[in-house]
Amino acid sequence: MAAPASERHRPSFQLGPQRVVQMDGDQLVRVGARPGLFRYIRNIWAFRHFLQYDAHARTSSQNNLDSLGRFWMVMNPLLQAAVYFFIFGYILETHRGIVNFIGYLIIGVLTFRFIQGAVVSASNSIAGNQQVVQAFNFPRACLPISSAVRELFATVPTFVVMAVLVYFIGDYQIADMERASITLDWKWLMFFPAIFLGLMVMTGIGLILARVVANHNDVKHLISIGVRLWFYASAVIFSVDRFADRGHDWIITVMHYNPAFCILDIIRDAWLYDGLGEPFRWAVLGGWAVGALVIGMIIFWRGEETYGRER
Amino acid sequence: MSTPTSPYTPRRANGPARNGTAGDGLDLDPEVFDDGFGFDQIQEIAWDDQPLTQNAPQVETVDPDKVSVAVDNASKIYRIRSGTEHKNSTKRVGRHLQRALGSGWSEIPALNELSFVVNRGETVGVIGTNGSGKSTLMKLLTGKIRPTSGEVFATSTPVMLGVNAALVREISGRENIKLGCLAMGLSPKEAQKKFDMIVEISGLHEALDRPLKAYSSGMASRLQFAIATSVDPDILLIDEALNTGDAQFRSRTKKRLDEVRAQAGCVFLVSHSLGTIKQMCTRVIWIEQGRMLADGDPEWVCSQYQEYTDHKSNGRMRAAQIVYDRTQLKLSPVQVEFIDGTRPTKAG
Repeated sequence: MAAPASERHRPSFQLGPQRVVQMDGDQLVRVGARPGLFRYIRNIWAFRHFLQYDAHARTSSQNNLDSLGRFWMVMNPLLQAAVYFFIFGYILETHRGIVNFIGYLIIGVLTFRFIQGAVVSASNSIAGNQQVVQAFNFPRACLPISSAVRELFATVPTFVVMAVLVYFIGDYQIADMERASITLDWKWLMFFPAIFLGLMVMTGIGLILARVVANHNDVKHLISIGVRLWFYASAVIFSVDRFADRGHDWIITVMHYNPAFCILDIIRDAWLYDGLGEPFRWAVLGGWAVGALVIGMIIFWRGEETYGRER
Repeated sequence: MSTPTSPYTPRRANGPARNGTAGDGLDLDPEVFDDGFGFDQIQEIAWDDQPLTQNAPQVETVDPDKVSVAVDNASKIYRIRSGTEHKNSTKRVGRHLQRALGSGWSEIPALNELSFVVNRGETVGVIGTNGSGKSTLMKLLTGKIRPTSGEVFATSTPVMLGVNAALVREISGRENIKLGCLAMGLSPKEAQKKFDMIVEISGLHEALDRPLKAYSSGMASRLQFAIATSVDPDILLIDEALNTGDAQFRSRTKKRLDEVRAQAGCVFLVSHSLGTIKQMCTRVIWIEQGRMLADGDPEWVCSQYQEYTDHKSNGRMRAAQIVYDRTQLKLSPVQVEFIDGTRPTKAG
């Protein structure tokens, strides 16, 4: 904030007659000022078409440099799942104690891909879109939100692949793997609320990180490391019990309060084990979703005026 | 004093002395001094009776209904990350650290503190040489960047019209038009209504479905300008220096620009064409080297500017400096004050 007019020094070099203009400022607003939180959220709502169209346009164009085009949206997750299966399932044998290991691994790897992509792209959305930020006057929170939504759009083919794979080969047995038959029923629909709550968590975290990265670019390097840690703390490729076997009980507590683990666990329970997800997981995930979104929105909103500067 | 024995030879005043007057450095013959120096080109202005220092400022009150934009002591210093900043650093240790890391902040003062008040119905021209701070002022007015000190107030958020609509290179021109419209806050219906007009102005009928990276730079900037003209703001900023294009395109945009300008309450026009400025503006602000040099009658300000740039382009730096100082002497700086308790803080 600038000092009040009386405390400011006059310009040193001026020889023309000094003029003072007095006015009533009731009709004026400060240009570029940050609106109140509720008004800010209303503004975001007014820009929902932009959000949606931006996410859609960029998703549909993200593979157009490849000669196989959108085929990669399907192929890439398939290959990734195959690699993890080969290394962790086949060579390292992390499948011990897990029923339907193939389905477990596929759900873990592909869903975490979405979680990771949403957080990373949302955190980069302000720093990486300076042109757009300086060109248009819209609530800046649109960009992180749009990135997270875009990631969801881009992951839809992956989720379809995931469902098909889990249904057909999720309970496939190799060597001594345990098996429980997979049935397609209404419980599979638990996937949608879980992913929706997950998207809220990612958006909230993305909003916080977007502000931090916009102000301190260095943090970008730490995010990829943080995401890797998060990957290992989410039981993506092995079961929670492996930590318990070695006496690290505190890791289990961490995992149970980890939103990514909750999402994976709910989806696995619904798809592989014919359950609805433990109520505790839903509670933790719901708490994270509301908490992260509210806190993220407030943190991001408070920095609204700092995003458009030159770097 | 020695009288030159040889016939008069032109020479530079502070150049090496010629043999005839060698060692006679104090010889400042007014005739010699005058020539080639540009003094004869400086137009005399009448000295008015204003005392040099004015302690009692003139207080004016403006009608609150008429004010459109008020800039209160706004200044801007850019802080930019720079890998070569260590060359300018004076600290001994910090310098080596910056050099090793290849990182540092470079501070670039772009705009000194300036204040002015613009009323509804005024068309304000903004002139200045390249790099003088015009674009920074425009960015401050639209609220895209925040002034380092001071504040900018307006009745509504000013909208900049120029090649600023950021385009996404991967998607087609058609999608870019829609995206740009939505980003400016139009609803999908309004965007649909404006679509034909934008295509008409940009003249890109056949290239609409190509991705933007297949466009030539001229085509892209035409599209940007066309998208930007689709709004009808109350306070309008036009950056005409950026409106590049062939004659055909310019004549097409002119019609639309006139329409937009006619409905706007207050217009800022950045242009390098003094003809346009004189023709359209009721007031001109001249910004030079980050300072506001003049604010007033278009004819007078433009003539000063013309003189300044003439001197500059012919390499007469001191003459240019004199025009600069002289113009600034005539400037009467404005200080904005708000009646108690009415200083705006809320957002637009």
